[in-house]
Amino acid sequence: MAGTPPSTVAITGVGLVTPAGTGTAATWEGLCAGRSTAADDPELAELPVPIACRVPDFDPHTHARLRQPWRFDRATQLLLGAAREALDNAGCDSAAWRPERTALVVGSAAGGIGTLEAQHRRLLSTGPDRLSPHTLPAYLPSMAAGHAALALGVKGPALHTSTACASGASAVITAGLLLAAGHCDIALAGGSDAMVTPLCAAAFAKMGALSRRTHDPIRASRPFDRERDGFVLAEGAAVLVLEREEDVRARQARPLALLVGHGTTTDAHHPVAPDPDGTGLERAVREALRQAGAAPQEVDHISAHGTSTPLNDRVEAAVMRRLYGRQPPSVTSAKGALGHTMGAAGAIEAALTALSVARGVAPPTANFTAFDHGTDGIDLVTDKSRHHSIHLALSHSLGFGGHNTVLAFRAA
Amino acid sequence: MASETLVHSADSVDQHLVAVLHGKFEVAPEHIRPEATLEDLGLDSLAAVELYVTLQEQWQVPLDDSEANTGLTVQQVRETVRRLRADSASEGGTA
Repeated sequence: MAGTPPSTVAITGVGLVTPAGTGTAATWEGLCAGRSTAADDPELAELPVPIACRVPDFDPHTHARLRQPWRFDRATQLLLGAAREALDNAGCDSAAWRPERTALVVGSAAGGIGTLEAQHRRLLSTGPDRLSPHTLPAYLPSMAAGHAALALGVKGPALHTSTACASGASAVITAGLLLAAGHCDIALAGGSDAMVTPLCAAAFAKMGALSRRTHDPIRASRPFDRERDGFVLAEGAAVLVLEREEDVRARQARPLALLVGHGTTTDAHHPVAPDPDGTGLERAVREALRQAGAAPQEVDHISAHGTSTPLNDRVEAAVMRRLYGRQPPSVTSAKGALGHTMGAAGAIEAALTALSVARGVAPPTANFTAFDHGTDGIDLVTDKSRHHSIHLALSHSLGFGGHNTVLAFRAA
Repeated sequence: MASETLVHSADSVDQHLVAVLHGKFEVAPEHIRPEATLEDLGLDSLAAVELYVTLQEQWQVPLDDSEANTGLTVQQVRETVRRLRADSASEGGTA
């Protein structure tokens, strides 16, 4: 309607399935305890980097309420686990919503690649007769959204976003845009990846992206630390429930946080390495803040991308030093505890940032001991959680392809 | 009148079929009757092919999954498996 101001997008519930456990409580508790989840991984035992972070206790029947879960890739199972929890937490009854006015946007870097790998091994070892007819429905990257829409009864847009490790954050942005533009009344946004597979682990190792601290896996993921040497591959999922703020108030519910801005930019610098100047990330932050109507000094907390790779953490720290100078906000990286969940990370960290805003808690960055000259000058939360008022928080997500994505959340 | 379910059958093919339909496809055992079609049991076209691929692998019989369809009855499936097993046994016996 002409003259109507755009609606504010509220986060009303989140669901998390991570290496710290199934459910938001398990993830938050593990994160705040600063517990690393990396461990030797039997499936990767013969590979150069045999460590990873797996979701330890996930039952697709119970947590995802899925029948015949073998029909779905693990990424879809984890996604549905997160979606069920998010809807429960939002007090959102899918039996009561209008299916045609509900949207679902799912980010992933690799879709059902575990299924594809397993079926390819089968094709090579036993021939085409033994191939599952569910191979493509389980693998195709868009099918996580398709399967979840079917399971949840979503009949509005069901989209897939893929911006590598920023995919989950891109999903949150896309869902927010759909909602704010009036294309739906409820939007579920999520990210999910299950890339702890032999092919992915070997390929990341070949790129030199993984930590080689294989003799000491629980200390391998150490964002911003001077001895960081790569990320630890992980799996997981998160879903956020987005509604217009006025709708939430009308049903007398209270949002966890408000999504008040976002920035998306591209480096166009290198296929996989971030621009060492970080100008793309800085532009994304400035755009998110512009939309939020806020200045850099108003930012209270940042959930960094913080992968634990030498270059990422240096670039990100440099951008934060430039933006915040001597009044730095608290900074954390969930990847010290959870590892790098790939396309899920942007959604997981968006959910965690919303929780930080709601709870006034900045969780610690696991495994940090000391800065180097590239990462110092930021106010990293280490050792234990820090309790402080968080009125405005950002979540950074970067991805191969030069993707920079920033989400801005305000207290509700 | 509906026939007996296969659950209490002493036949090894029947027992295996029940194990697969119940264990993998989550069909309630009491529904697994000879005249029930795969569709009646909740299997869609992909699931019918998956059933054939699974039986093929577990029994090591050359079930042709291009013939799998949701209109097949449990009776037809078990007869096909029995025939193929008998064929492979006799081939093995004369080898």
